[in-house]
Amino acid sequence: MDVFDAVIVGGGSAGLAALMELSKLGIQAVLLESGKPVGSKNVTGGILYSKSYPDGKVYNVEDIYPDFADAPVERRITRYYLNALSGSKVYTIDLTEAHNYRTNFAYSVLMARLNRWFAERAGEEAAKVGGGIVDGVHVRDIVWMDDGARGSRSSIIVTDELEEFGARAIIAADGVNSEVALISGARSKFKPEALYQGVKCIVRLPEDVIDERFDVDGDEGVAHLFAGDISRGHNGGGFLYTNRDTLSVGLVYHLDSLLKSPIEPYQLLNEFLTIPVITNSIVDEVPVPREVDRNLPREEQLRIRFGLSRLLKQYEELRYTYYSKRARLNAIRQGLYSSEEEIKARLDDVRSRLEKEYGVQFTNDYVELEYACKLVPDGKRAMMDKPYRHNILFIGDAAGKGIFVGTRIEGINIGIDDAARAARAVARAKEMNNFSEDYMGRYYAHLVEESPYTDDIRRIDFEYMKIFVKASRNIPTEPFPLFLRLAFMLIQKTTVQELAAKIARMMDQSTLLKIIESNDAYVRIPMEVAERIGIEVKPVAAIRPLSIDERVARMRIREDEVPHIRIRDARSRFIKAMVHLCPTKCYMMEVVGEGAGRGEGVRAKEEGKEGEKGVKAVVSSVILQHEGCIECGTCSLETEWRHTRGEKGVVYEYG
Amino acid sequence: MHVIDNCKQRLKVSVPAPLIDMNGDTLNVAVMVKLEPDLSEGNVSYNPDGTLNRSQTKNILGPHSAIACRAGMYAKVCYDAWVAVCSMGPPTAEIALRDAMGICCADELHLYSDRIFAGADTLATAETIKHGIMRMGRRIDLVFSGHRAVDGETGQTGPQTAWKLGFNFIGNVVDYSVDVSRRMVRARRRVDLPGLYTVLEDVECPLPALIALDPGYRDNYRRVSERLMYARLEKEARRRVADYKNHLKVWSAKDLGVDLRYVGLAGSPTIVYKVEKIPKAKASRRARVVGSSSVEELREVGNLILNIALGEK
Ligand SMILES: Cc1cc2nc3c(=O)[nH]c(=O)nc-3n(C[C@H](O)[C@H](O)[C@H](O)COP(=O)(O)OP(=O)(O)OC[C@H]3O[C@@H](n4cnc5c(N)ncnc54)[C@H](O)[C@@H]3O)c2cc1C
Ligand code: SF4
Repeated sequence: MDVFDAVIVGGGSAGLAALMELSKLGIQAVLLESGKPVGSKNVTGGILYSKSYPDGKVYNVEDIYPDFADAPVERRITRYYLNALSGSKVYTIDLTEAHNYRTNFAYSVLMARLNRWFAERAGEEAAKVGGGIVDGVHVRDIVWMDDGARGSRSSIIVTDELEEFGARAIIAADGVNSEVALISGARSKFKPEALYQGVKCIVRLPEDVIDERFDVDGDEGVAHLFAGDISRGHNGGGFLYTNRDTLSVGLVYHLDSLLKSPIEPYQLLNEFLTIPVITNSIVDEVPVPREVDRNLPREEQLRIRFGLSRLLKQYEELRYTYYSKRARLNAIRQGLYSSEEEIKARLDDVRSRLEKEYGVQFTNDYVELEYACKLVPDGKRAMMDKPYRHNILFIGDAAGKGIFVGTRIEGINIGIDDAARAARAVARAKEMNNFSEDYMGRYYAHLVEESPYTDDIRRIDFEYMKIFVKASRNIPTEPFPLFLRLAFMLIQKTTVQELAAKIARMMDQSTLLKIIESNDAYVRIPMEVAERIGIEVKPVAAIRPLSIDERVARMRIREDEVPHIRIRDARSRFIKAMVHLCPTKCYMMEVVGEGAGRGEGVRAKEEGKEGEKGVKAVVSSVILQHEGCIECGTCSLETEWRHTRGEKGVVYEYG
Repeated sequence: MHVIDNCKQRLKVSVPAPLIDMNGDTLNVAVMVKLEPDLSEGNVSYNPDGTLNRSQTKNILGPHSAIACRAGMYAKVCYDAWVAVCSMGPPTAEIALRDAMGICCADELHLYSDRIFAGADTLATAETIKHGIMRMGRRIDLVFSGHRAVDGETGQTGPQTAWKLGFNFIGNVVDYSVDVSRRMVRARRRVDLPGLYTVLEDVECPLPALIALDPGYRDNYRRVSERLMYARLEKEARRRVADYKNHLKVWSAKDLGVDLRYVGLAGSPTIVYKVEKIPKAKASRRARVVGSSSVEELREVGNLILNIALGEK
């Protein structure tokens, strides 16, 4: 049997960083990832931060990957805004200063792509010490054996794909829906109040159009957050980040808020996309082909279809080449075209041929490339007290990490910091050949405790709040509840700032959070602010968001014939909520009322007469079709939930 | 399990001693491959009479040869084997060798190329390859060949080469393993019995042996260490392919020291008397193209399916 010093379960940004660090420390480590290739299961918003704290060191992405400068990141985020929305009205607050607070740099990233690069680097480093990455393998179980005097327990890893093998230390980097956490009993599943559901889509837009529309130059980018009238009253917010030639657009909601009055995430996303400021950001000119004349001979119809699709492809390539500085120069350098004018002339030519020969019309719409959804652990409520168990160390989302307070959204950087600490704990354990909970686990917990992020997750940073309040000084405070208004005023007055800070520090975190994460803060106040001082934004065009069926049809999901989720109680309130909350409509309601009562019951419900004398209530239950599952984890709490087997399930290209 | 160890006696072939026995304990493997026309869409070119236009059709490593290479890679990953790929063919066949190297991370490539070899049938080809394998500079323990080629009935080449080399032969292999210390190979063969069940048969025989792979061969890396090794060799293979010429040896008939009576056209007893095209059967099914956007037409399709499902038609 193969035995390894360290086995990492999960190849997201956290697990990959752990592999890189362990390998640098000379430890033979193997990373197992169920997706194939690595990256295909990872989703983020997302902005990747590098931070520095005055009171301690954090391990940043550039510390882990020395050649991070070559990484395929998107744009350096140099401006950061919060937008209060109400209908078509918008009030924008510039939060760049808050964004820059303790930030070395921040890049917009596409997680699937970036993780592939991380995997290349970490894989190379690992190979030097006999380790590496094994993708397409799903860890199903872990069995522990007692390992001699020190109480150190080494373990056997059981997967769906490979022969069993041994591990002295395990790093669990298997994300928010960690199976390792449950197998080892290190924690129970996260509760809805400790989770967010994030839903997003990637929108395509030529690079130059992004530059112009957001007033940035090629390498720079902006981030916009949104609050107010976007959530049908749920607690949560929206985001729009500029990537190189795409935008990441999405929403993040408190899961408990969604469970209270369930609503389809794709519905919320579509409503968000059709808000004028968002529509205006994502709209693009897209070709709409005409229906092929069905009276033509069939061969002719086929000929037209093929010709059209070839020309459309050419058009798209030319357009994305012409409207991107980089692609333009590249194409000319490679000798594909002699000059920019030539590309333009070709583009115009193809366009007019599309119009004349095929009757293609050009209208305003948007181009959605990928739809995604995933749970996010809310660090302040989800962070594990004891991020270890037996010979396992938990890192990143699996350990419930993340700073999500108001406008601060950080998860990737924190998982990377965890990874570096876990690697050091394993290296020390290896030296003493003691991988026990007491020796390795507790040392890891101690290292995590030393991380400035840990304090930051536990306590709301008053300095950050000060910057935030300063940035919002122009907003009217009348809509605020009295207490918040007072706090706002106090914080703004430099003379009493210290006092305010003291009060804030004394206040119990949960009280503070109740204010910051209240429905008032998420919805009512932003709406009123927008109403009062916002500017009216007119939509430049109408777009047609994709339906969920269209989205699912475009997704790459490798069907796993073995079901990986089993409903425990098909009639529970929670499972019924999944009919709405599952992002890909895997849950369906089925009416199972008995006998004659059945039809009556349905009718009664429709007519609102349920419960009236002689009318039976509808008995319904829920069925699950796991084939469309994208492993977001939303339904995990009341199901027997696993990821799909290796290589199966969703494959994200962008993430 | 059957034990095959009688072919040598039965066939009464005198086996020449290997020229050099460099390394007693590593497993030395040869993979025989063939350059074949790429019959995938868009790459084939036909003559007006419907026969293959060989000069216009792109040539690649044959798909069955590629399977043999995968088996070679398996030996490299699991037994740290030394692997050479060989082919008899025109100078352009080095493309097939290069592609083969990409699959099995070969240590050496051998091309047997000489005008004299032209017109060889499978027996003459086997003679050439036998000499090539004997002159690889190592005692070859295991040879892999594909099931057949896509452009001719060449399924005999493997068995004939085994016979000429005096190696044990196992055909239709879907899985194999080697016990290096006992010098035994164990293989699972797929035996299709017409009209009966398909049988999977486990057989064992001593090395040296020649294995012809079934198209259903699957390399199955079940251990972490094998997966890691595979990943490493895959990367190494890419590097080697980039300078494959440095690993390539081209042999003429003279280099190989073949007896000219047994190779090329002279050594080919097979006479292709006549090639007859089997007339195509007339299609008995009618097909209609249905647009995906017409509700009417789709409904019609739906009804048809429904009828079938309901057993009405
Ligand atoms: C919509 C959204 C917006 C976000 N915005 C931001 C942002 O702007 N900035 C930021 O820093 N963070 C953001 N986050 C959070 C951030 O994306 C995560 O914290 C981070 O990606 C988590 O990385 P991870 O490696 O811990 O977990 P994951 O990326 O989830 O990786 C876990 C991996 O483990 C694998 N796995 C799971 N179980 C097994 C098993 N049994 N066997 C084998 N493999 C297994 C999975 O396939 C997966 O690849 C956002 C998250 C979402 C969803
Ligand atoms: S079935 Fe899959 S996609 Fe649907 S909620 Fe559950 S985990 Fe998410």
